[in-house]
Amino acid sequence: MKEQIIKFNKHIAAMAVVMLFAVGFLSSSMAMAAVHSFNFTAKTLPNGQLGYATGGSDAEAVIPGPALFVKQGDTIQVTLTNSTAVDVGFNVPGLVNSNSAKATPGQTQNYTLHANKTGTYVYHGDNNGKELLGLFGAIIVDKKNGPIDSFVNGDGSIVPVTQADIDKQFVLFMVGSTFWGTEISADGVQKPLWAAPNLGAVENDLVRFHVLAIGPGHTFHLHAHRWLKTDTATVIDTKLLNDGTDTHSFTIKAGSGVGPGDWQFHCHLIAHMEAGMHGSFRVDAAGSGDGASVVGASPYGNILLGARPSEPGVVTLEVSDEPASWFRSPRGDAIVGLPFDIKSKSLEVMYPGSSVNFVMSDTNGVHTISSLLWPTGAHHMPFDQSAAYRGGGIVKLTTPGLYVFTCKVHPYMFGAVIVDDPETEGLDLGNPAMDYKIDLVTGITGLPTSSDLAVRLLRTFFVATSPSNWQDYSTGIWNLKFPTLPVRISGAPFGNIQDGGLALALSALNVVDAPLAVGAAPEKPGVGEVWVNTQFEKTAGKYKPGTTTVVDTTNWTVKRKVALPEINNNNPHNMWTNRDQSVIYQTQWFDTKLSMINRETGALIKNITVGNTPSHVVTLPSNDDLTIAINGENGVAIIPAGTTSVSKMLPTQAHGHTSANPHGHWVSADGTKIVTPNINTNDIGIYGATGGIHARTPTGNNAPGAHPIAIGMMPDSSKIYAANLLHHSLSVVDGANGALLKTINLIADYNPIDGSFADNDGNGAIAVGVLPIQSPVSPDGKAVVIAATGGQIVIVDTKTDKIVKMLPCDPGCHGANFGAKEGGGYYAYVTTKFGNRLTVVDIDPDNNGDISDAHIAGYVSLVDTPSTAKDDTVSSLPGFGGQGVLAVPNVYNGWVQNLPDVWKSGLTAAQRNPVGH
Amino acid sequence: MSFQINQSSCDMPLSQSAIETTKIPYRSFCARAAAGFVLAMSISFIGADKSYAAEHVIEMTAKDISDDGFGNKLLAYQMLSHKIDGLDVTDRYSNAPTIPGPIIELTEGDKVKLTLLNAIDPAYPVAGASKQVSVHVHGVHYKILSDGTLRVINRKLDEGAGEGPEDTFASYEYEWDVAPGTAGTWPYHDHNYENHNGSEHKGLFGAIIVNPAATPRPQNSYKFSKEYVLYLGDDAFWGVEIDSTTKKQTKHGVNPTLNAPKNTDVRFHLIALGTDLHNFTLNNYKWFDPGTHNLINQVAIGPLEKHVFVIRSKNSTQYVDNNFSNKLLGMKGRFIVD
Ligand SMILES: [Cu+2]
Ligand SMILES: [Cu+2]
Repeated sequence: MKEQIIKFNKHIAAMAVVMLFAVGFLSSSMAMAAVHSFNFTAKTLPNGQLGYATGGSDAEAVIPGPALFVKQGDTIQVTLTNSTAVDVGFNVPGLVNSNSAKATPGQTQNYTLHANKTGTYVYHGDNNGKELLGLFGAIIVDKKNGPIDSFVNGDGSIVPVTQADIDKQFVLFMVGSTFWGTEISADGVQKPLWAAPNLGAVENDLVRFHVLAIGPGHTFHLHAHRWLKTDTATVIDTKLLNDGTDTHSFTIKAGSGVGPGDWQFHCHLIAHMEAGMHGSFRVDAAGSGDGASVVGASPYGNILLGARPSEPGVVTLEVSDEPASWFRSPRGDAIVGLPFDIKSKSLEVMYPGSSVNFVMSDTNGVHTISSLLWPTGAHHMPFDQSAAYRGGGIVKLTTPGLYVFTCKVHPYMFGAVIVDDPETEGLDLGNPAMDYKIDLVTGITGLPTSSDLAVRLLRTFFVATSPSNWQDYSTGIWNLKFPTLPVRISGAPFGNIQDGGLALALSALNVVDAPLAVGAAPEKPGVGEVWVNTQFEKTAGKYKPGTTTVVDTTNWTVKRKVALPEINNNNPHNMWTNRDQSVIYQTQWFDTKLSMINRETGALIKNITVGNTPSHVVTLPSNDDLTIAINGENGVAIIPAGTTSVSKMLPTQAHGHTSANPHGHWVSADGTKIVTPNINTNDIGIYGATGGIHARTPTGNNAPGAHPIAIGMMPDSSKIYAANLLHHSLSVVDGANGALLKTINLIADYNPIDGSFADNDGNGAIAVGVLPIQSPVSPDGKAVVIAATGGQIVIVDTKTDKIVKMLPCDPGCHGANFGAKEGGGYYAYVTTKFGNRLTVVDIDPDNNGDISDAHIAGYVSLVDTPSTAKDDTVSSLPGFGGQGVLAVPNVYNGWVQNLPDVWKSGLTAAQRNPVGH
Repeated sequence: MSFQINQSSCDMPLSQSAIETTKIPYRSFCARAAAGFVLAMSISFIGADKSYAAEHVIEMTAKDISDDGFGNKLLAYQMLSHKIDGLDVTDRYSNAPTIPGPIIELTEGDKVKLTLLNAIDPAYPVAGASKQVSVHVHGVHYKILSDGTLRVINRKLDEGAGEGPEDTFASYEYEWDVAPGTAGTWPYHDHNYENHNGSEHKGLFGAIIVNPAATPRPQNSYKFSKEYVLYLGDDAFWGVEIDSTTKKQTKHGVNPTLNAPKNTDVRFHLIALGTDLHNFTLNNYKWFDPGTHNLINQVAIGPLEKHVFVIRSKNSTQYVDNNFSNKLLGMKGRFIVD
């Protein structure tokens, strides 16, 4: 290896020299330009990921795709044959390409590129996020002659290197929160290192790194090594790879100045580090090691139906905005097609020592990838991140059993991986060494997989992730199907346990052809309209899911569907309205937008960027300003009344503290306080409407991850009620000072082992609310109505703060809000995600103030009819995904007083002034 | 308005140190320095307009601080003692834990022995998590035992102070070789607290400024009236102002108001941390992108990148992060020229 120290007295001189060289090479290279021809095939890998192969049709696709090394001035010709089921292109940002067309499945396309600029370029499949599944690779364009790079030597000198000097090269793609690597030997042989590899070199090897990124951005850092900022003499050790596609190539001398060691390389974004985005660069002392890299997790490796069981494998889950498929295996269709009656595309099976990889490739929102449950004693659990982000994750799983992942921001997004011991019959649902028990993120440890709670959680998973298991009232029939695979669980009472813990298949729980009827509508009309975010309903004119269904409460019919195809309206989640009830404000929870909709026509007024993953919107009754909980971040956005952009964000935590991630907030009737349930910090925050943190009150009795998710407030703001989703409780907090008054256990009457219900809390009612979500207080302050996603409606009397009633609800019970009942009183409108009817609860049918006779007044189908006005055609999941619900007119104290007379005239005197009565 | 005097100095040292390397027998000089003549030499040469390698003996600790009134804590480093060739310079630092932590000024050729203690309330954080803090530094040379990482990463030791997952130390000593070629501004941060990613995002971060060897010492930042280290976090800047004459470090905290005498050269050291990507502007000023002759008025910066630039102070203005949400959160500060 030749080393030549070049000294630049002045930077100007250096630049001049470089420019001179460049001109020289450019002219000479034109004369000697080569044409490189590559035959590419896009293929589907065994785990469902996609990749490019070069060579014949038998060649194996690799991730990253083959690295193409060319010289400046060369021409690259790529013939691409598409063997996948999706359209695939060959796009190279930064280089001129003769063809922007994509090859349809089975088709071939030709691309000609001119490598007229040196640098490192990403090529990718250009297919709406599917390229993040593996259709990416590197093109490295080097100078024709002379040095191709320089490194910073241990003595501080900058040493130019030629291609011949380089001992090895690494291509490292940063995708999601996973490194995908290829090693290239000195003689040009490319070896796939797959996902999350550990790199190796011998001390003083000259190693060239090509770090590339596609998708959300990263920073790359390698411990104890320095290199040059591209085309400068500035020394760096961390480099931003920005959103989209970005690249950075550099050369180091392994261990120079620092010696041998296991030097970590990693992305330096905290959330990505927490999601597993790191590896080791092992530098062996000369003579004491061969500097070999350690291959990572391969899509061909040890997974269900994998090709090479001897190698560590990887299953992948794509994070998606698509209903039920929020964590979708790219081979989900194939898994559903297996003869085991698996209806979920969000379940993967692999073997110990393989990894699960996540990539947020089909979403506009920010998320976390967080453990919900795992086999007792499993390593690397719980998997979690301290903030929501864009990216992905990777984690190696060695202990057999069931692992369920969720997103803390969207806590019904579920993905599951069963790590199965291949030596035993049946799928292991728990750790065999720990009697097949599981731990839950809420602090429950050693829960038998045979327990009622474990079985309920499994049922919830297979309902949430399988639309065919949802209750579609328009079909009149309901089937609930679970996999026919035998499973290994803890023991009695569930299933027919045989020796060794083999239980009946989950399909023993199947519901077959159960009749399903919407039920009668309420006898007494409501006042005005009810707007329901049917967040999963799909329409023909847009890719993203979700509509808003408008119910006319005078005749209980679906009056309108608002899909907003022109903005690809994405998962509309919650709503509020302005004082004169003319504009509906609606958040897009898997996106960054708030939409303003003309209430009378359903037309879009404006689509506004408000921040990552906005959840709820509430106006200040005092001035009609909008307050928007930015659920993916750390504040409440404010849009002043009459304007259409965010003026400021009120922080929900002190500077530098863990992001609170507020979800379903509420506002005091006088408009002075904003109260948020902070899902990431597990507390209730009370904030001044113009700023200032008044209180942060922890919920859930210090259990980890109580997950307060929605707020209700007394009409005089004296008390705050917060539903704790994962703690199955309702926190009661003093509205004046934030003091915790009481924590009402919503599952006290439930025995999690045998599933029996009894009045264990002695309140005179047998009532259970599993996974409570919304908890509004009636405008007259009598009742808290809690929608529990486990399928219950629980009613709490605010006089005693005791549960007085449980009513049935459909699976995925979610939203609740009050509207006026004709002639006085209030209806609570309750929505469900996995059913397509609206439940109408009358909290006080005889209007005597005693709410213990609360009952279900009736039901309304949310499926459109021929007379429904609409801006798009419903294509699937009709009326499903009920979440936010808003009655118009808004009759809560503080807001009702601001209604225009035309709306007030439909209300009784008590309804017009709910606190005065 | 655009003002720029010269190249920001962080990209100069390479060429200069390369020259230096050829001129003086660098390694033998270091060997002599290490052999025990340090104190005598430093006393006799203080104030001399010449470059010498110095030995820094530093003792720092980490504490839990800034209870926000609701029981949520941040963590911070505190300088206990910094001696340069025996000369105590501790008074340039705050005598309390600060965010950012101490900004340690070094010169190429120096050696550093940094002893870290751990004064964090042992009841914090949660049970089962690593209670060990560390210093992982960027930029300078060090051996694997000074990496400041947990054994699960470095395969040697839990390299920090306090109770780690595998090893426990009351204090931990790091050795840095501020070798030629390491001039520039570099972050240091914890890598061990709670888990192998550390708690840099909870306040455990600081910076070193390595001056090029060829610059005269001890006034090797004589060109600048003020230096500012601004860390870009996920909701605020965490800054510190350094007076180049007294070396005093002040104004620690969130979005500090920075002051500069008019028509003087000041140096900004930007470092990012956390999860956000940022876009920094100093309104109405332009500066050279380090290592280039490109005048820029904004820079994209991601976690643990650094960006150092020099401007001549002319008019008061604001520094701002233009990241959508951070801007709305008020992530900006005043730059007052008077
Ligand atoms: Cu990253
Ligand atoms: Cu999410």
